[in-house]
Amino acid sequence: MRLAQLTLWDMKFQAKYGFYLLYGILTVLYIVILFALPEEWRGKAAALLIFSDPAAMGLFFMGAVVLLEKSQKVPCALATSPVSAAEYVIAQTVSLCSIALIVAGILALAAKLPHLPGVLLGTALSGIMFTLLGIVIATKITSLNQFVLYTVPVEVIGFVPAILHLFKLMPTGFGNYPANVCMDMIAGNSVSVAGLLVVIASILILFFLAERSILKMWKSAGGVKL
Amino acid sequence: MKAIYRSFLQMLLFVQRDMMLFASCAAPLLAGLAFKFLIPLLEKRLTKWLGIDAILAPYYGLMDLFFSVLAPTMFCFAAAMVILEEHDDHIESYLFVTGLGKTGYLISHIALPGGIAFVVTLVLLPFFKLTALSGMEILLLSFTGTLQGIIIALLIVTLSTNKLEGMAVTKVSSLLILGAFVPYFVVHPVQYVAAVLPSFWMAKALCEKNIFYMVMAVLTSGIWIWSLMRKYKSGYKGHLHR
Repeated sequence: MRLAQLTLWDMKFQAKYGFYLLYGILTVLYIVILFALPEEWRGKAAALLIFSDPAAMGLFFMGAVVLLEKSQKVPCALATSPVSAAEYVIAQTVSLCSIALIVAGILALAAKLPHLPGVLLGTALSGIMFTLLGIVIATKITSLNQFVLYTVPVEVIGFVPAILHLFKLMPTGFGNYPANVCMDMIAGNSVSVAGLLVVIASILILFFLAERSILKMWKSAGGVKL
Repeated sequence: MKAIYRSFLQMLLFVQRDMMLFASCAAPLLAGLAFKFLIPLLEKRLTKWLGIDAILAPYYGLMDLFFSVLAPTMFCFAAAMVILEEHDDHIESYLFVTGLGKTGYLISHIALPGGIAFVVTLVLLPFFKLTALSGMEILLLSFTGTLQGIIIALLIVTLSTNKLEGMAVTKVSSLLILGAFVPYFVVHPVQYVAAVLPSFWMAKALCEKNIFYMVMAVLTSGIWIWSLMRKYKSGYKGHLHR
């Protein structure tokens, strides 16, 4: 119940600050771009758009979310409430991933991708990974510029192999790389059980790191280390 | 003038602390090297592989345009992020009632970084350009690229009231550059739908080798900047009354 309320509160927060409006505009624009492309390119272009934007939105926005919450003293309130760090991380991840799933679904339908469940699963898994990474980075920064800089290496590690993999430019042996597995799901390629297990293991490790980072941030909220 | 200089220095220190200053300076150099050497190499490989005469070469003008916008966007984006931080921390309100004022604040935080980016682009573009550009074209491209960076910064600080909205607006405002693709890929008169975007006129000037279109880019940029400045100032008045 508490988790559901926390998730709903995060969704309201995102709606208030224009996330839904922003992604409404971006979805329309992406559909226009998809229809402007030759039909044979649409599948790959849709996979690229879904993976690089809605799926990765957590990585882009978490810094601003955490910094704004810090300036509004939200961590102080949460630290003294019964809410656990795990619940906070889950609520942030679920709320951001729900937007990603809606946008990915619309883009997949617009591009007439025949494997909608795969697209949604790939978007959800990559969305969870990128949001957790965003949370880990966001708890360690003090300004937006710092967050933007810190996310650059993560973007390189996350996007470049997956994009190369989509166009079959990656050397063999990288098929089970977490980002590549997610890209395969979104692009409608088959995924091995080992690849799926690697993604789940990565999510578990990142969740543990994100929870620890949030707990550390809450303990030092207000300038005093508890 | 002294207040503007001090405010600019303060912002510079803030950006330097985050390493963003270093990144803003390094990015145009790295991108310039990539544009100059990697893109022709890629073109050579692709044409050989696919057996087509030219693939990327017809769009080298577009690469020059992107390079001219890169440094101003980096510099002005970093400045816009500082403004958002100062807004959330309520520093901006205190600075407005000092001798610096609103106009001085905007000059120190947006116009000066834009000016530096203009000089950087003017120096680097002749080295990293991929097409034959005249001195006048380089000057105008650097200038309109700077105006583009200023528009993006003003959009971010005008349309957002906090960091989170700022990041959302950043995403939308970066789409302004998409106008540059239109003259290269849409031949039909329907292309003029993008005429409100300065990047459309910049690209048209390069695509059709007609410098008159650069004047249109300056004019449309002027309208954007004027409207955004008005909105920024009136928005702040509303904030004070609240």
